[in-house]
Amino acid sequence: MLRLLWSKELKAGLYTWKSLAWLLVTSLIFSVTSYLMLTNRELSLLDQTEMLWLLSKVILSAALLVVVIDSSSLITSEFEQETIECLFLAPLTLKDFVLGKLAVSFTLWALVYLVAAPYVIVTSAGSQLTCAMLGYTALYGSLTVLGFTLLVFAVSFFYRSLRNTLTTSLTVLLASSISALFSSGLKRSAFARALGSINPLDNVFASLDNVLVDYQVSLGRNLSFLLPLVGFCAVMFGFLLLALRAFSRKGITKD
Amino acid sequence: MRTLLLTVSVLALLVFAQRVPAESASPLELRVLSSRTLSGTAGDFVEVVGEIANSSAQATDSITTYLSLVDTGTKMPVDLEDWSAERGLFIGSIDAGQTLPLTWKIHFVQPGAYALAIVAAVEGRDQPIISALTFFKVAAKRNLNPGHVLPVALGEPLLLVFAFLLLKYRRDRKHP
Repeated sequence: MLRLLWSKELKAGLYTWKSLAWLLVTSLIFSVTSYLMLTNRELSLLDQTEMLWLLSKVILSAALLVVVIDSSSLITSEFEQETIECLFLAPLTLKDFVLGKLAVSFTLWALVYLVAAPYVIVTSAGSQLTCAMLGYTALYGSLTVLGFTLLVFAVSFFYRSLRNTLTTSLTVLLASSISALFSSGLKRSAFARALGSINPLDNVFASLDNVLVDYQVSLGRNLSFLLPLVGFCAVMFGFLLLALRAFSRKGITKD
Repeated sequence: MRTLLLTVSVLALLVFAQRVPAESASPLELRVLSSRTLSGTAGDFVEVVGEIANSSAQATDSITTYLSLVDTGTKMPVDLEDWSAERGLFIGSIDAGQTLPLTWKIHFVQPGAYALAIVAAVEGRDQPIISALTFFKVAAKRNLNPGHVLPVALGEPLLLVFAFLLLKYRRDRKHP
């Protein structure tokens, strides 16, 4: 049943070339970014490792944006188009329903990753960091996509409306990534450091810096960044459980 | 402030370079000592070493020294923001007959041909004091080879467009 739901969503979402146009736009973003980085006179003076770090941030940001926007409609569309009742008339459990939708989000992330991989390979050529960059981008991408998708699903069950879910999810994503705009002086304050230690995106970017710029490639050296990210996923999982419990209690028709 | 400094320095370069005899009366002298070691490759960090000497019989106070850089190819002043974290060096006081060293660490950002001078603004004095111009070249260098990325940067979007067209073609054949 889970597989059926996954394939139904993929066919509905990715069947026509128009619904895949975002993939082309993502590819163009990576093309422009990597070409600009390597050909711009001043940027090309950066160390290759710093360039890889910048590229990995662009890849993860683009992937998160795509996944959050698309995931926002995965569950809410069932409510708005009133198809959720029909779905639950079929022998489909709530767990299968959520897992099927989660699989769709991961498929989108996998597509973005596949599109990004050639750029990573050519940009990291000669740096001996290709495998590390591919591996850590996959790991951190999967964890952040998991955390944010769980959050989006929980919000979807609470709101049952695309507009509210999308607005809330994008605001949370923006709030998480806004510290990337802070100057290094601002980041040094105790409050900013405390926030950064629990912010999933801060930990992801800091760990990628650790791996790609400081050559701390082993997982052990990145556990301090990885654990908060796992914690974020666990918290979002708890939030989703709460939302599912509320949904089970209230039923499909809210009032 | 930066624009003001740049404007002053360019004017100083243009005007005072032609008025060296008039400046010989200045109590302060500025010299660039590292002119031979300045040339390099883009990306290099080099030290601009100079000195300021007070040849008068009395001390001079409140002197701000800074670098002035002109791209001789484009005939435009260069904003030193990316080139050096050390913009100006302030000298509280220089005694009579004293010589003080001046050092700036600069990063060669753009390849090209440049003229550099050390400029000093003394509090209470209308005209700045400027060293002789030092000419140097920065050779181009790339850490990365952009040739590798071009096939991917162009090829991948084209490949995706081709895949979409194929998808559309197959769909149209299936459901005419």
